[in-house]
Amino acid sequence: MTTDKKSLFETAYKEGRNFLLEHEALQIFEAAGVVFPPNKLTKDVDEAVAFAKKIGYPIVIKAMSPQILHKSDFKAVEIGITDEGALKAKYEAMKARLQKFALNGILVEKQVKKGIELFIGMNIDPTFGPVIAFGIGGTLIEAIRDVTFRLCPTTKERAQRMIDEIKTQKMLNGFRGLPPVDRDALAEMIVNVSKIADKYNNYIKEIDLNPVIANEDGIFGVDARIILKAKD
Amino acid sequence: MTKNPLHDFFQTKSIAIFGASASKGKPGYVIAENFIKNFKGKTFLINPKGGEILGQPVYQSIQEVAEPVDSAVIIVPAKYTPSAVADCAKKGIKFVTIISGGFKEIGEEGIRLQKEIDEIAKANNMRIIGPNCIGLFYPKRGLDMIFLPDEKLKRPGVGGVSILSQSGAFGSAFLDIMGSLGNGNYLSKFVSYGNASDINEADILEYFGEDPETKIILAYLEGFKEGRRFIEIARKVSLKKPIIAIKANRNEAGAHAVASHTASLAANDAVTDALFREAGIIRAYTWDELFDCMNAFNSSFLPEGRCVLIITDGGGAGVMASDAVGELGLELAELSPHIHEKMRADLPPIISVANPIDLTGSATAKEYLYALEQTIDDPNVDSITYIIIPTPPAINVYDLMEGLKPYAKTIKKTITFCAIGGKEAAYIREELEKMNFPFYPTPARSVYAIDKLTEYADYLRAHGMALPKLREVPKE
Repeated sequence: MTTDKKSLFETAYKEGRNFLLEHEALQIFEAAGVVFPPNKLTKDVDEAVAFAKKIGYPIVIKAMSPQILHKSDFKAVEIGITDEGALKAKYEAMKARLQKFALNGILVEKQVKKGIELFIGMNIDPTFGPVIAFGIGGTLIEAIRDVTFRLCPTTKERAQRMIDEIKTQKMLNGFRGLPPVDRDALAEMIVNVSKIADKYNNYIKEIDLNPVIANEDGIFGVDARIILKAKD
Repeated sequence: MTKNPLHDFFQTKSIAIFGASASKGKPGYVIAENFIKNFKGKTFLINPKGGEILGQPVYQSIQEVAEPVDSAVIIVPAKYTPSAVADCAKKGIKFVTIISGGFKEIGEEGIRLQKEIDEIAKANNMRIIGPNCIGLFYPKRGLDMIFLPDEKLKRPGVGGVSILSQSGAFGSAFLDIMGSLGNGNYLSKFVSYGNASDINEADILEYFGEDPETKIILAYLEGFKEGRRFIEIARKVSLKKPIIAIKANRNEAGAHAVASHTASLAANDAVTDALFREAGIIRAYTWDELFDCMNAFNSSFLPEGRCVLIITDGGGAGVMASDAVGELGLELAELSPHIHEKMRADLPPIISVANPIDLTGSATAKEYLYALEQTIDDPNVDSITYIIIPTPPAINVYDLMEGLKPYAKTIKKTITFCAIGGKEAAYIREELEKMNFPFYPTPARSVYAIDKLTEYADYLRAHGMALPKLREVPKE
């Protein structure tokens, strides 16, 4: 983790945002060794088509706007785009739909295969300070509440114990024909996220990687959110 | 590394008691009496009224004491406390325990007084325990600041358990129970730290961790002054000795606006749970659990594995114990084949030689002792829970207790005991506690105790540590 990405946070503050846009957050995560599917911030549909051709379908597109934190509230995400025709149509429709918002671009990302949905997060606990969280992710995350915590930054051994502590071990051991989750790689990812929280502790208030998808190809962050501390 | 201030609090050679009182029944009298009768050091009584208490002179002011004094305990009303602390400062006393209440816990006026004390202490490099607490108790040196009289609160004798308690009432009631349990010899050191204006939970945990006399640490916490430091210290201490803690006030909200899933899932208590696990702290949720753990860790060995053997004479008790084994994620031990065969051949066919070993309603003391003798060295058995229902006609409980006595000295395996019933069960309890065996009133609690010992043993093994020998052999 040698590259310093402080300027991303400073830009956000300058623009009056308390969060990083996803393509900014991705730069932080990827610099720290957290794996995401191939992705690119595109300015127009031609750029999107060219990138999609390179990485292959299906793909996902997400609008990056300083005014949009919860993308699903604004239909700023389209998933399951399987060909060029659909990409062109959905890309233009998204632009039109969100024309009243300032758009930094549209993120084109390879859609990962089905897998186990996990999550990794970070939060500043009022008693214990920065803690890293790991658990079962997805849209039901707050209903399932199968989650555990460690102080930030954490170690690989501790991250491994976090994985062992999750109640829903069945999900991790090869659920419904999926391969067992690579616990070693997952532990490393938890450690890397905890290091981000530690390195940028002046800036970061909360991190959400939900879902993190574990499938036959590996473990990928899919949706990434970094919330910033209030600028003092 | 700087020396932990608690060392000086406990090893003080001389102490001044501000607010020593001649009126029986007053806290200032009880504390003065405790020190005069038991303290292995010099005691100076301070009260502007002067006079005598139990034949000892009362100084009207600390300045009248000619020789140097190490520490002080203050029991004067809150409004006079800052001036007492200032007197200590003038005298060069560095270690002050403030029992008095009426500070931060009562609001604005109290906050002001507490701040005043903090400022005097800081300016003079003094360390403060309290205010609003019951202070220190260290039976080995007769250092006893507890203002609750001996006939109401039975003091435990010298042992290896040290306690830190945010609540004075909880702490004192727990001491009373310890003092009344078995031979009563359980306590190394006790600190009630109240408002923690200076010395807090993390300082005390660190001291108990370093203290060679402390074998087991119990904590009662409602909040943290230095939560992160507490966890970081606990990580190191728990590799040397068990820490069993209640963190009460569990519904305290981690209340702040949240924008992420993580923050909404991170209810403060869930974080406490996970961080205690990270740090190797055994978390107890109830008074019973804390007591059961204290009893188990003080009186048993840490198991080599997760396999539990149940020995009983009651089918129902055995089933309930098996249920608890399953629910807690422990395993039922399978006896080694040669031991199983020998027992099968020796015992009447009505007895089930499986797990549970069910001696049935025709059980005798001899069979109970035989079952233990045969299985105690079985390497397939990591721990035993020994559940006695004394009602069957053929069990002579006196013979059974006589037969168990030699094990009190020789036992090397994890064992917990349970007896269910009335008068004879009470007798069994009394006898087993004299042997310093951990006794429980129900099968579930008897298995819970094994589970907690196993949890700690697993934690130590996962961290590459050897298992410390915890059981205290009863003194004659």
